[in-house]
Amino acid sequence: MIGERRWKRAGVGGAIVFALVAAACGGSGGGGGGGSFSGVPLAGAGSTFAAPIYTQWAKDFNGIESGAQVNYQAIGSGGGVDAFTKQTVQFGASDAPLQPEQQSALPGDAIEIPTVLGGVSVAYNVKGIDTGLKLDGATIGDIFLRKITSWNDPAIAALNPGVSLPNTPIKPVHRSDDSGTTFVFTTWLSMGSGAWKSGPGAATTVQWPAGEAGKDGSDGVAGYLASTDGSVGYVSYDYAVANHLGVAAVKAQDGSFVAPSVDSISAAGGGLQLPIAPDTNVLNSTAPGAYPLATTTYVMIYANQTDKDQAQTLVDFFTWGLTKGQDSAAQLEYAPLPEQVAQAALQELSKINVGGTPVTASSSVTG
Amino acid sequence: MSHRVAEPGAASARLGDRAFRGLTLAVGMGLIAVLVVVLWVLAQGGAPALARFGPGFLVGRNWDPVHQSFGALPYVFGTLVTSAIAITLAVPVAVGLAILLNEPVGRAVTAPLASFVDVLAAIPSVVYGLWGLAVLSPAMERHVEPFLRATIGRIPILGRLFSGTPSGGDLFTAGVVLAIMILPIVTAISREVFSVVPRDLREAAKALGATRYETIRMGVLPYARPGIVGATMLGLGRALGETIAVSMVVGGGRSVGASLFAAGSTIPSVIASQFLNAQGIGYHRPALLALALVLVTISLSLAALSRLMVRRTARLLDGGSVEGAAEGPALEVSG
Amino acid sequence: MIASAQTGAAATFGRRRLKDRAFTAFLWACGGVALVPLGVIAYYVVRRGLPALSVAFFTKTPAGPLDPSAGGMVQSFIGSGLIVGMACLISIPLGILTAIYLSEYGRGRIADAIRFVAEILLSTPSIVAGLVVSAVVVTAMRSFSAIAGSLAISLLMWPVITRATEEILRLVPQELREGALALGLPRWKVILRIVIPTAGAGILTAMMLAVARGLGETAPILLTALGSDYVNSSPWRPTDAVPLRIYDYARQPLEALQQVAWGGAITLMVGVLVLSIGARVLSARQERRLR
Repeated sequence: MIGERRWKRAGVGGAIVFALVAAACGGSGGGGGGGSFSGVPLAGAGSTFAAPIYTQWAKDFNGIESGAQVNYQAIGSGGGVDAFTKQTVQFGASDAPLQPEQQSALPGDAIEIPTVLGGVSVAYNVKGIDTGLKLDGATIGDIFLRKITSWNDPAIAALNPGVSLPNTPIKPVHRSDDSGTTFVFTTWLSMGSGAWKSGPGAATTVQWPAGEAGKDGSDGVAGYLASTDGSVGYVSYDYAVANHLGVAAVKAQDGSFVAPSVDSISAAGGGLQLPIAPDTNVLNSTAPGAYPLATTTYVMIYANQTDKDQAQTLVDFFTWGLTKGQDSAAQLEYAPLPEQVAQAALQELSKINVGGTPVTASSSVTG
Repeated sequence: MSHRVAEPGAASARLGDRAFRGLTLAVGMGLIAVLVVVLWVLAQGGAPALARFGPGFLVGRNWDPVHQSFGALPYVFGTLVTSAIAITLAVPVAVGLAILLNEPVGRAVTAPLASFVDVLAAIPSVVYGLWGLAVLSPAMERHVEPFLRATIGRIPILGRLFSGTPSGGDLFTAGVVLAIMILPIVTAISREVFSVVPRDLREAAKALGATRYETIRMGVLPYARPGIVGATMLGLGRALGETIAVSMVVGGGRSVGASLFAAGSTIPSVIASQFLNAQGIGYHRPALLALALVLVTISLSLAALSRLMVRRTARLLDGGSVEGAAEGPALEVSG
Repeated sequence: MIASAQTGAAATFGRRRLKDRAFTAFLWACGGVALVPLGVIAYYVVRRGLPALSVAFFTKTPAGPLDPSAGGMVQSFIGSGLIVGMACLISIPLGILTAIYLSEYGRGRIADAIRFVAEILLSTPSIVAGLVVSAVVVTAMRSFSAIAGSLAISLLMWPVITRATEEILRLVPQELREGALALGLPRWKVILRIVIPTAGAGILTAMMLAVARGLGETAPILLTALGSDYVNSSPWRPTDAVPLRIYDYARQPLEALQQVAWGGAITLMVGVLVLSIGARVLSARQERRLR
C-alpha cells in the first residue's frame, strides 16, 4: 500500500536479520511438557494497574525459562482487550471483565482469569488527623461533590466520635487523565452515594465539580497529596504506602470500618467466582474483613492455541504467576489471590489446548 | 536549470535513460501517493465517527468512550490555545532575533547565536518533554504562574486567562514549551525573508538620517511582512502537530475554560495517549482518526499557504526564488 | 515660536534616539531570551544525565520493579539502531531518487507538484505517520513491530532527504553534466557516475540530518513499535527505542527510572547533535567546494 517496493526492500533486510536471529535461537523451545522446555517470546498488553506485577513476573520467569521473554506493555485495559481481539498479542490484560459485546467480537473462545488483587485507597494529608479516619461512601461522595468542604464537618465528626477534627478546608484532588483508578473509585461511589450516581456517575473520567484540583497520573495525585495540607484524593494502595499518606478506613457492608492492607484487600477476593462474568467485581465484598474498595485484574488467553511452544510458555508463565508469583505480589503492594481462587484460576488455565490436546505446565514451574 | 545538450544517438542509451527517468518519476509520484494514502486512511477510518456525530463532532464537549459519545471541542480548543500561546511568545522574539542576526553589527556575537538557535531545533521532542515535566512544570507551578496570577491576573478581562490554581501541567506550560520548539524555524524563515529585502531601501533610509529603528520599520518590515506571516503560519503548523513534548506537560485534562492554568489536551496528545487504548468496537478509534484528519488537513494547508507566501515575498523582492528559504533551519524539529 | 520649535525638534530627536535605543535593547533581549532555554535544557540534561551513565546503563535490560535501579536500556539502543537502520534502507533510496527526478529531469507541473508535496509533507505531524501505519500495517501484520516503526519514520524521512538532496544536486555545476554528455555518456550514467559522486558529501549530509531526525522521533514508533523490555533483533516483533523508553520512564514515579530517562536523554542528545553538527560542517565545506 505504501509503496510495494519499500516492503520488498525491507523484507530482504528483515529476512537477513531474521535468519540470523533464528539461527542464533535455534534449538531453544523444544518439546512441551518436559523439564527441558525453555520457552519462547510472548507479547502481552493492557492494564497499567497490573504492569508492575507482570513485569516483575516476566523478569523472574525469564530466570526459569530462558527463552521466555514475556514482553508486557502497559497501554491501558481497553487497549489490552483490543490488541487481544486483533491477536496482536498472545495475552491481554484488563482491570474489567470482558463485556458481552467484547466477547462476541473475539475470534475464538478465551479464558479469563484473575491474577492479583489491588485496592484504591482514599488518601489524605491533614495536619492533626492521623491515618485511619473513618469514612463511608456517602460522605466521600459529598466531599468530592464539594457538599462537605471542611474537615470538621458534622458528617465526618459523626463517623469519628472522639477524634478532634481541625476546621481545615478540604481540598479534593482527582486524576485529570483517563484512568482505571478513577473508574473503580467512581463505580464504588455510585454504589454508596445516590447523589454521585445521579451526578458525575462512573467512568474512567467524569465531570468533576468546578474548582477541584486535577492531576495527571497517580504520581501527580500522590505528589499533590503529599505537599498540600487539607487535601484528599484516591490513589492505588501502593502509591499511598510509597508516599506515606494517611488512608481512610472505609465502611464495609456489615457496618465495620476496614483500612486497606494486603490482607484486607486479599480478603475481598474471597468471593470471586470463576468463570468470570461480565458483571463480576469485588467492590463492597461481603467476605469478612474485606476492604470495600478492592479491585482485581484479569488476563485473557485464547483457549484454542495453534503454536505449541507459545501455548506451553503461556501456560507455564501463568501457572508460575498464580503459584510462586503470588509471593512478589505483596512486595509490590498488591494482594495475592486467596488460595481457592488461585486454584480455580489454574483450573481455567487447563482449558488451554493445541488442536484439542490440553497443555499441561512444565515440571520447571510445577516442581 | 535547463541543460539541453544534443544527446548521442545510441538507442540503448536512450532506453536506459528512459528507464531511469521513469524510475525516478515513479518514486517521485510515490511521494504524492503517500500523501493521498495518508489522507485516505484517515478519511476512511474516521468516516464512521464523522457520519455518526456530524458537524457536532468538532463542537461537542463530551468525550466519553464509556457511553460512546464523542465531541472533540476540548482537544480542538487545547490545540488552538497552546499554539496561540506559542505564536504569541515566539514570533516577536523570532522576528527580533532575525533582525539582530541580519544587522551588520556585532557579528562576532550574533554568528554563534544563530548556531545556538539552530541547535534548539535539533533537540528531540521527548527531551523537551522530559525537561518540561521534570524541571519546567514545577517551576511554572511554584514561581511563574503564581507571579502571573498576582500581576496580570488582577487586570479585569485579560486576568481571567491567568486565574485559577497554578498546576504546572497545563495549557500555559505546553504553550511555553511549544514556543521554544518553534522559535528556530520562525527565526530561520524570517531571516531568509529579511535577507532578500533590497539593500538600496535601507541605504536610502539611512542616507536620509533615519535611525536604525526607523530604517527597519520603514525600509524593511513593510516588505518582509508577508514573509513573516508565512513564517508564523509555518511555525503554527509545527505547533499544532507537535505531540510528545506537549502530551508530557499539558496535563491530560479537557479544559475549555478561560484559565490557562487548567489541564488540557491537544489533538496530537490525545491521539498519543488514547489510540492504543481505544477499542475497535464502537466509535472511539474512528473518532481519533477523524481528529487526525482534522489535524493533518489544517497543518498541511497551513504549510502549503505559508510556502506560497514566503515564495511570493521572495519573488516580489528578488525576482528569483529562495527555495532554501522555506526549508527552515537545517536541523529539524522532531516529534 | 522659533525657540519652541527648536526645543520641539530637539525633543523629537531625543524621542527618536530613545526609541532607537529601546529598539536595539529589544533586539539584544531577543537574543538573550533565545539563549536561555538552550542553556537551561543543556544544563539539566548534563547534570541529571551524566550520573546515570554506567556500564549497566549501556549493557543491561530493565530490571523488575522490585529492584528498578539495577537495570539499563541496552534494548533501547539496539532497537533504535534496528528501527532507524531499516528506515534508512527504505527512505534513503526513495528520497534520493525523488531528488534526482526533481533536479535532473523534472520540469513542469508534475515536478512542481512533487516538490510542493515534499515541502508540505515536512510539516506532517509525526503522530499522524504513526497513526496511519498503526491502523494499516500493525493491524494487517497482527503485531506491533520494528518494521512498522521503520515505515512510520520513513514517511517522515523521505521528504527530508528529498528536499535536502535536491538542494545539493542543484549546486553541482552545469558544465560537469554538459561535458560528460558531450562525451557521449547517456544522461542516467552521467547522473549516477558524475553528478551523484560530485554531490556525495552533500548527500551524506542530507542522510545524517534525516537519521538525526529519525533517531529523535517518539510519536511514530509509540503506536507502531510499541516497546519491549528485551533485546530484540527481529523486525517482526515489538521493539524498544531510546525516545520511547525516555517517554515511558519520565512519567514513572520511581527516581531510579527517571534517572535512566535522563541518561537516555543525554545519549540521545549527543547522538543527534553529533549528526546534526557534523552535517552542518560537512555541508558548509561542500558548498564552498562547489561554489
